[in-house]
Amino acid sequence: MNIRPLLPFLALALLHSALRAQPVPPPPAANQAIDTASGAWEGIVNIDVSVLVPDYREPWNAGQPSGGSGTGFLIGKNRFLTNAHVVSNATRILIRTTNDPEPHPAKIVHIAHDCDLALIEAEDGSHFDKLKPLDFGGIPQLNTEVIAIGYPIGGDRISVTRGVVSRIDFRPYSHTSVDSHLAIQVDAAINPGNSGGPVLQEGKVVGVAFQGFSGRVAQNVGYMIPVPVIKRFLKDIADGRYDHYVDLAASDFPIENPAQAKALGTTNDGVGVMVGDVEPQGSVGDLLKIGDVILSIDDNPVMNNGLVRFEGELMDMNEIVERKFAGDTIKLKYMRDGKKLEATVTLKRFDPYVRLGAQYNQRPRYIVNAGLVFQPLDRNLMDAHQMRDDTVNYVFDNFLTDKLYVERPEPVVLTNVLPDEVNTWITPYAHSVVDEINGVKIRSLKDVQTALAKKDKPFIEIILLEKNRPVVLKRELAEAAHKRIMKTYNILEDSYLGDE
Amino acid sequence: MKLSQTLLFLVLGAATLPAQTPVPDAPKKKRAPAPAEAGAAPVQVVQSNSLVRVNATSQPYSLHLPWQKESPSGRRGLGVILAGNRVLVTGQMVADATYIELELPEKGQKIPAKVVAVDYEANLALLESEPSERQKAFFAGLKPMAVDSSTRIDDQVDILQTGRVGELIKSELKIGKVMTRRYNVEGSGFLVYEANNIVRSEANSFTLPVVKNGKLVGLLLSYDSKNQVTTILPAPIIEHFLKDVADGSYEGFPSLGMEMQTTLDEQFREYLGLKPDAPGVLISLVMKGGSAEKAGMKKGDILVAINGFAIDSRGDYKDPQFGALSSSHLVRGRAYVGDKAEIKVIREGKEVILSSELTRRKPDDFLVLPYLFDKGPRYVLMGGLLFQELSRPYLDAFGEEQRGGAILRLSRIASHPDKYEEEGRKKLVFLSLVLPTPSTQGYDKLGGQVVNKVNGKEIKDLDDLADAFKNAKDTTHVIELNDFPHILFLDTFNAERDNMRLLDGAYRIGSLKRLE
Repeated sequence: MNIRPLLPFLALALLHSALRAQPVPPPPAANQAIDTASGAWEGIVNIDVSVLVPDYREPWNAGQPSGGSGTGFLIGKNRFLTNAHVVSNATRILIRTTNDPEPHPAKIVHIAHDCDLALIEAEDGSHFDKLKPLDFGGIPQLNTEVIAIGYPIGGDRISVTRGVVSRIDFRPYSHTSVDSHLAIQVDAAINPGNSGGPVLQEGKVVGVAFQGFSGRVAQNVGYMIPVPVIKRFLKDIADGRYDHYVDLAASDFPIENPAQAKALGTTNDGVGVMVGDVEPQGSVGDLLKIGDVILSIDDNPVMNNGLVRFEGELMDMNEIVERKFAGDTIKLKYMRDGKKLEATVTLKRFDPYVRLGAQYNQRPRYIVNAGLVFQPLDRNLMDAHQMRDDTVNYVFDNFLTDKLYVERPEPVVLTNVLPDEVNTWITPYAHSVVDEINGVKIRSLKDVQTALAKKDKPFIEIILLEKNRPVVLKRELAEAAHKRIMKTYNILEDSYLGDE
Repeated sequence: MKLSQTLLFLVLGAATLPAQTPVPDAPKKKRAPAPAEAGAAPVQVVQSNSLVRVNATSQPYSLHLPWQKESPSGRRGLGVILAGNRVLVTGQMVADATYIELELPEKGQKIPAKVVAVDYEANLALLESEPSERQKAFFAGLKPMAVDSSTRIDDQVDILQTGRVGELIKSELKIGKVMTRRYNVEGSGFLVYEANNIVRSEANSFTLPVVKNGKLVGLLLSYDSKNQVTTILPAPIIEHFLKDVADGSYEGFPSLGMEMQTTLDEQFREYLGLKPDAPGVLISLVMKGGSAEKAGMKKGDILVAINGFAIDSRGDYKDPQFGALSSSHLVRGRAYVGDKAEIKVIREGKEVILSSELTRRKPDDFLVLPYLFDKGPRYVLMGGLLFQELSRPYLDAFGEEQRGGAILRLSRIASHPDKYEEEGRKKLVFLSLVLPTPSTQGYDKLGGQVVNKVNGKEIKDLDDLADAFKNAKDTTHVIELNDFPHILFLDTFNAERDNMRLLDGAYRIGSLKRLE
């Protein structure tokens, strides 16, 4: 079994049997000794996962089998909370408690990649009926003690590490790499395998251990997902469906410059942050403009650096939006041309950014036609193919910044040309963004299918973005070659367009 | 979610900008011969009286802090004496030169020299010394070398070098290939001879003559010691350069200004309506203001002949001297600016004869300067905000790993300038750096944003920008950018005060702008 690279900084692996270390003498007793036989911690379980990592280079293949392990904990009747990254791309999930070697098959109930949380259940929950679920606490104070419990590398049995709360801050969550939420930094050792395990204070869960730091630049830095993020997840799925985070989809720029403050008409009380960019398809796309000044969100004054005082702490103003759900509203006070305005905004999810982050539990979508492989452009694709083409990199890098998603919600890339007599002259055009096929503008992978179905002309004509000549195939030759190429390159299906 | 994503980009972009300093002026890979090769068999012969050593000191301007210069460095080469006591060297030899001198290889006598003409695209320069008694004496024993353009494939030639006391060292080469290739700046290809053999290196050198029977057949362009491949800037290009210089006004090498695509693919030929054996290449791009555009050439035309030479489906013609050669040489190497060119194309199945007066697109005609030597980058500094016009050398100074964010965006504009040229921009003005001053408080991390407007005026080049800063409404400069955060404000009074402080301050800024 391979060790699955779960999170880049988690040093490649969660706990794995091959890494079993020699027995270590029990550590000296801490403040209060824990009797693992007492059952108090029996709700903290080891999660063993078999994984199939999708292959974005040969999207018709199954992918690479792999595996890993992490931690989860009981929060209700047959409901275990863990990290999304522990169970992502899983083909088999097994739960083990610390005192019972029996593996119990489990499945995902809900998974939220954007906040790296998942809820799983045992297929037969009766084994866990007697276990006591863990209770949630609140946001712990700085410099108070917490313990992290889980099944990290270094042994098979349950492990406890102790530390203090070092920092409470809005931070990127590296599971997708594009989402940021509140995270609490602790100096308790959090190692591969701790992922998904509870962090406790006075017997209550104050967080889920989920990521560390790459080590070379910082030490004794671990992060946990705090209770507000966990509670939001649990509330979101209460209706049986996960609806994702909502977003203002606007970027703020601090007002630190006196000339800027004067020009924008803000007073000297340090209230108001400038709008530096607005996504036209986001929640405030029709409301805010560049150069507007956001004064308050839900009556919480926004400071000139974009922070608000919220629940006693200074936090990013987005934290107020973060707690809300799709369809909720916020009250926004803002200033334009010196005039104070007010509006109520209905919040919605902003989809285009998702493609810029890692995605999981998805079968790669593709179309193969006469050896030409078309795939949608996203982070998974970019990571799998080392694309050096300037246009592909530009479109990916500036998908949001230059609002490219408006014209092309799902850019399609000609990722490969599987060589054959019919396409040998166009092999150099692999790694190009597809602009048009047979006169049809390509805005998504589905358009490729529609365009290829057009058979009114003797040639398949493909226009690639910023390549100055069309790429053409004679239709009758292409059709004759298609089956041959599929067979030669061992491709069973010539397309997968998703479940819909 | 989206927010921190954008900020992250921003921080990265800004951090890469000031941290980067251009590569020092060390000779680039392949430019100069590598240290002596073991096993080379140089043949010692008599001293030549047609060669002089050339020593130049080169000092480019800093691309990122454009008010200052980089550290000076020395370059050496072996120049060729031509008629009129002029000395031929490569353009590289004299790029950004602050001082040039000639030295007699045997006696070691030295005399200062200056550049008479230089073409950085053709990589050639002509030097001379002020007429004086000393100059007369210096050149007394020297004899001009003739230029011989008759070299063909398989000819034996010698690369010449001089030893410590002026003795001549020869490395024999056989010309294996003739092709067109870019020299050392952006632009179309020039004629190149390629040869394989070991070249002994006496010292790093920016110019080495290649001779045959005592006549000049080219200058060494590059030597790759690993593969033992030598490229030579050939006599036909040297003759073209000298002839152009001789008439008093230097025009440079013309170009058609178009891009072509091979038509070897049979399906593509059929799609284009080309007969199986018909010659010609597809014109896929016609540049604005180029000779091809003036001749009425259009994207989609099939180019079949230039000046009576048939163009094959690779884009080559049959050169009487060298065989198959890129058709670009027909214009660039064999014609002059102002010459008439006859271009035959097939358009909508019919033959059309186009005629054009050949022109050259000057570096300044490009939205993004392809190269910049001998003068400082243009800039405007306002209150600590540094504005520059985008240039290739500026972008090239960033390494591969820094190609993300702003640099990737700017690089793409350099490769695809059409949209920005259509907007009427002459140059691409961008905020390159923010110096920390009271005026720029809060803007420190910015860099790499394209400037659209200042104080309501559209910015087509830096002169526009300098003018726009004279016309602030009220007491605030309003700077509109193409990228996040899209709008910046500067207090006019504080910006002027900070300008004055910058002039004498820690950054050693001698001037707030360079617009010449």
